[in-house]
Amino acid sequence: MLANYIAAWAFAYIGMLALCQGLERHYKQVWNKPPSTGLRRALRGAGWLSLALSFYFCGMAWGWAMGPIGWFGLISLSGFALLMLLPYRARLAVWLPLGFVPLWAVIEMLSLYRWSV
Amino acid sequence: MKQTITQSLAWLHTWGGLIVGWLLFAIFLTGSLAVFDQEIDNWMHPELPAHHLTDEQAVERGLSYLREHEPNAKQWGVSLPYDRSPELRASTGGRRDGVSVTLDPNTGEVLPVRESAGGRFFFLFHFTLFMPGMLGIYVVGALAMGMLAALISGIVIHKKFFKEFFTFRPAKGQRSWLDAHNASAVLLLPFHLMITYSGLAIFLVIYMPAAMDALFDGSRDAFFKAQDPAPAVVEAKRPAQAEPAPLVAIGPLLAKARDVMGPLSGVSITNPGMSNAEIQIRPILGNRIALIKGGGMRFDGVTGEQLSGPTEMRASVLTHRVISGMHFAQFGGYPMRWVYFICGLISSAMIATGLVLFTVKRRRKYASEGRVAQVLYRVIEAVNVTVMAGLSLACIAYLWGNHLLPVGMAERPDAELTVFFGMWALTLVHALLRPRMHAWREQLGLAGVMCLSLPLVSLLTVDHSWALHSRMGVELTTMALGGVLLWACWKVSQPQVERVPRKKATVLAEVN
Repeated sequence: MLANYIAAWAFAYIGMLALCQGLERHYKQVWNKPPSTGLRRALRGAGWLSLALSFYFCGMAWGWAMGPIGWFGLISLSGFALLMLLPYRARLAVWLPLGFVPLWAVIEMLSLYRWSV
Repeated sequence: MKQTITQSLAWLHTWGGLIVGWLLFAIFLTGSLAVFDQEIDNWMHPELPAHHLTDEQAVERGLSYLREHEPNAKQWGVSLPYDRSPELRASTGGRRDGVSVTLDPNTGEVLPVRESAGGRFFFLFHFTLFMPGMLGIYVVGALAMGMLAALISGIVIHKKFFKEFFTFRPAKGQRSWLDAHNASAVLLLPFHLMITYSGLAIFLVIYMPAAMDALFDGSRDAFFKAQDPAPAVVEAKRPAQAEPAPLVAIGPLLAKARDVMGPLSGVSITNPGMSNAEIQIRPILGNRIALIKGGGMRFDGVTGEQLSGPTEMRASVLTHRVISGMHFAQFGGYPMRWVYFICGLISSAMIATGLVLFTVKRRRKYASEGRVAQVLYRVIEAVNVTVMAGLSLACIAYLWGNHLLPVGMAERPDAELTVFFGMWALTLVHALLRPRMHAWREQLGLAGVMCLSLPLVSLLTVDHSWALHSRMGVELTTMALGGVLLWACWKVSQPQVERVPRKKATVLAEVN
């Protein structure tokens, strides 16, 4: 259950991050070189796909009536988190999603454990 | 002088935003705190113990108290502890004439609990501003219209809406304030629009009474009656003559109600112990988005037969209730509450950056302005300090007051309010007397320190302050907010970078 919330949030962040990196200005801000056109398209595609996944997990977590409301909120909040991270810790903002995987795994394990007890 | 539409809207956004911004900040900040009104309320009633009762046991505790102490009351009520509140209350009669006591969930005896204005204060202030009568509701409605106007004009005058979607350039004076204002407004635009519009829609009958006047001759009762679906059918065959009769076992009814409606908030029994007894069981708000008042399911108190409910709403009523529900944020559990809370705080910050921007823009030209303009800007700056830093200080002082005022004192809730409004008035005096940056620094610093030391106040004044998770949550969250306030205090203490350096090297160095 909690894992769904985490997944919804993580994919919202990854989606906003990919969309952001699909913009030339912010790609340069992190990597000091402009992205190729193909890479920009790929990043934008991945961004929207990730937001769609976030929508799915919001629906799983909250149900399909409340899910969309939470989805908008999570997109806004993760966009804001990204906004605050980029100018101070640009590389951290980009690598942060790697931290989501162990977090998600731990929470998934914990909830499985709770179900089995 | 000819003006473009953008210039006119920019003027509207600047001055309109300033006028409505002050009170809007107060509304948004207290509204954000009101998301956790019940948790704050638990914190402000430190006598409430944790409980481990099922609904059935809790109702039994409440009823056995009422049987013993109020056997002749026409109506009994038990409000149940639930996820957010550990409080078990037993009451009789209506809201006005009845008695209501808090029970100890472990013993079933009356639990002395301090009088407090409670977390509800933030909720009430949020939409009435504590103005007399209906005035506050109208003022808040007008401010919400102002907010919508500011949002729309802001969108129009923001030239690089998508280009600067993720852009924030810190440490560049006015530029940074504008970036922060724009980006927080744009990224949270769905929230801003939703919360402002839904806030207006809650009181649509008050703000737009024409339809009610035309269709129902201005009778609110007739209007609300028309919203209800057909009255319960079973009503007719209730016995006219009542005689003593034992109450049906309530456990199975609770289970049935829980199956249909989800977690429950309370039970009330009319004519207990008589043959015409009736049991009403209510759900908590937040089992669904729509905001449901009263309602619930009704049962015959002797046979246990279901009489009515839960009622289906007409499409128009449901629409209004869902829009209101989206504002009240009672649905979706704690994850949704956190989303609303943080969104609300960022909205407050968005308004705050706008207000600060107004003065930052004018600080540079300050010396060259006329005498009147200087006084005006000086006052605006002081009001800015009072509204933002001062209100934060008043809020945390309100919590301190709750723990530090003597527990048994008379008119205690009023004294708590005096602490809040007194502190707020003092911050205005302070802001007017001190040089502007000193005023910012001192008020932010004091508020931050008071937030950080809130657990200490609990430790010294109450027992088992963290017996409830929600109390621990309130204190930890307050400490985090205190950290933010101290950070803001540290920021304004830094030497100012008023003149924007033209070279980009410093910023780039920071990025890498």
